[in-house]
Amino acid sequence: MFTGEIPIYQQLADRVAEDILAGTYPEETSVPSTNEYAVFYEISPITAAKGVNLLVEQGVLYKKRGVGMFVSPGAQEKLRARRRAQFAERHISPLVREARLLHIDRTELDDLISQEDSK
Amino acid sequence: MTNAIEIDAVTRHFGRVHALDNISFTVPEHSIVGLLGRNGAGKTTVMSIMAGQDRPTSGHVRVAGHDPFEHAATLAQISYVRDNQRYPDDYRLHHVVRIAPDFAPHWSEDIATELVEGFRIPAKTPIKKMSRGQLSSVAIVLGLASRAPVTLLDEPYLGLDVTGRAFFHRVLLRDYGEHPRTVVFSTHLIDESASLFDRVVIMDAGRLVLDANSDEASESAWVMSGATNAVTQLIGTANVLSTSTVGGLMSATGSGELDTETRALADDLRVHINRASLQQLVAAYGADRAASDTIDEDRRA
Amino acid sequence: MSTVIPTTKLHLNKREVTFVVPLYITALVAVVSVLISFLFWRAGSIPGTAGWVSGSQSNPGILYSLAGFLVYLGVQSVATTFPFALTLGATRRGFAGGTVLWAVLVSAYLAVVFAVLMTIEVQTGHWFSDFYVFDVYVLGAGDLGRLLPIVFLGTLSMLTIGGVFGGAWVRFGARGPQFIGVGVGLLLVLALIVLIPSAEDILAAFQLWWLAVAAVIVIALSSLGTWRLLRTAIVR
Repeated sequence: MFTGEIPIYQQLADRVAEDILAGTYPEETSVPSTNEYAVFYEISPITAAKGVNLLVEQGVLYKKRGVGMFVSPGAQEKLRARRRAQFAERHISPLVREARLLHIDRTELDDLISQEDSK
Repeated sequence: MTNAIEIDAVTRHFGRVHALDNISFTVPEHSIVGLLGRNGAGKTTVMSIMAGQDRPTSGHVRVAGHDPFEHAATLAQISYVRDNQRYPDDYRLHHVVRIAPDFAPHWSEDIATELVEGFRIPAKTPIKKMSRGQLSSVAIVLGLASRAPVTLLDEPYLGLDVTGRAFFHRVLLRDYGEHPRTVVFSTHLIDESASLFDRVVIMDAGRLVLDANSDEASESAWVMSGATNAVTQLIGTANVLSTSTVGGLMSATGSGELDTETRALADDLRVHINRASLQQLVAAYGADRAASDTIDEDRRA
Repeated sequence: MSTVIPTTKLHLNKREVTFVVPLYITALVAVVSVLISFLFWRAGSIPGTAGWVSGSQSNPGILYSLAGFLVYLGVQSVATTFPFALTLGATRRGFAGGTVLWAVLVSAYLAVVFAVLMTIEVQTGHWFSDFYVFDVYVLGAGDLGRLLPIVFLGTLSMLTIGGVFGGAWVRFGARGPQFIGVGVGLLLVLALIVLIPSAEDILAAFQLWWLAVAAVIVIALSSLGTWRLLRTAIVR
């Protein structure tokens, strides 16, 4: 289910982070266990643990002994800040590169963005 | 982390054939390891030696801290069904699941039943008359229901349909979660199984060519593609495993970090550099010799 | 932890072949023996006369017909069961031991079955109609003290001889059984060359217990040989 350029544990962490941002797992609620992630995404449980631990290190998830993994208070805020920091690199630079290749100038690009935004 | 399996300088000759040539690697406890490589690379031989069914010509093997050969207590910790497993005359499924628990101290009746039903293994068909996929299913029942601390799966996918493969993954991972164990797993369907592996061991022609964490294995491997002269210029000093050329286009698979200079030059030459998938990497290690062989033959001709 | 008992259970896993098929064969032999007796009767032989009894008791059919099956059973107990036993986790030593134990069980079972059938045969006046199936010379002519060791040691010999051929096949492939066959043949000829000059004396002194001793030796050699062969056998 996961493929491509990015390591699998990273992809899992991204997926869980996205779910938290989208509100699928509100703060202070539990997320699926490492083993559940492993079975669901057909990945090694060690890899799944690595992905989940990445979010623990970032303070997005925390472990309640004997209960499971929970979404930390303020997790959404933290994730949003991180994603904002990456926004330019991940989304703007490829957009600009592609626009240059296609000879789309700034005005046209701005128009396209406004159009998309008003949908 | 302790090691479930230690292979130390193992060589295995069959007459003049060198099936294994001074191989060493370890398998950490509770990891899932992909044992990959072309046909004839030595995967089944090394598994037979791990399972105590064969002995190295020289070198040592330890499973759970002990040489498995003729050691009943160690053999009870191992499950290994070879890809061309033979069964006694007139055997049917019920014979297999009736006797296996006598040898497997951790046998789970529930897992066996779940797998038999999930794979729809026919009860009445003699094992001799089963299809390739049904034979693989029986082997998976033995492999997973044994809950052996060291589980060796030799080509578990052969002939299995896509539903069967996904079902096998689910049961393996779920039961692993409840009863962690060490799994070594040989296969050619690498794209499909790559995400299961914590580690990969790649073999070619009886030798070990790569033993690494799966993330690291493909992190440092790349595929370059573009115009032949551009790619040739770029790979000058890089560690190239295989190349293929079609028309004026060339792709090269290699491993090792590429410096920013090379990457910048690639951009200028309009050469794409992508991370190689595990499957591409294994194919490249196997192609290395095959490609040079072809060149030799061309020269002779 | 030993794998001897699990191996014995592995062999007993095929209950029908182990316990029922020998009975089928025995029943078939009984039917054929009865048919042959009918033939003699129709040809003018009279049931119950001395000629009838000695003719019927000389019928060794039961021996030949079972021998073939028992050797097959012995061959497959090693040839096709050994690879699977290794897969299950048996040691070679455990497998060899468990296979001998299984052969002893099968031999004891057949000895008891034959003893019971022979007793019934004698008690019922040979099935109420002078038919001789088990009360025959090769099985001790109605003497339980002879029938039990004959069937037990005979069966055990067949099974272990089959086993050593199966072991040779697992170890050396198709050439294995050929080598053993030729080797045993050569040994027999050599033995004859040595013994022939004194053959008359030997035959005159012959005692039935010699056969028993010979069977025990054959059983011991075959079992040891099977283990030696399997110790270095590789399954591929």
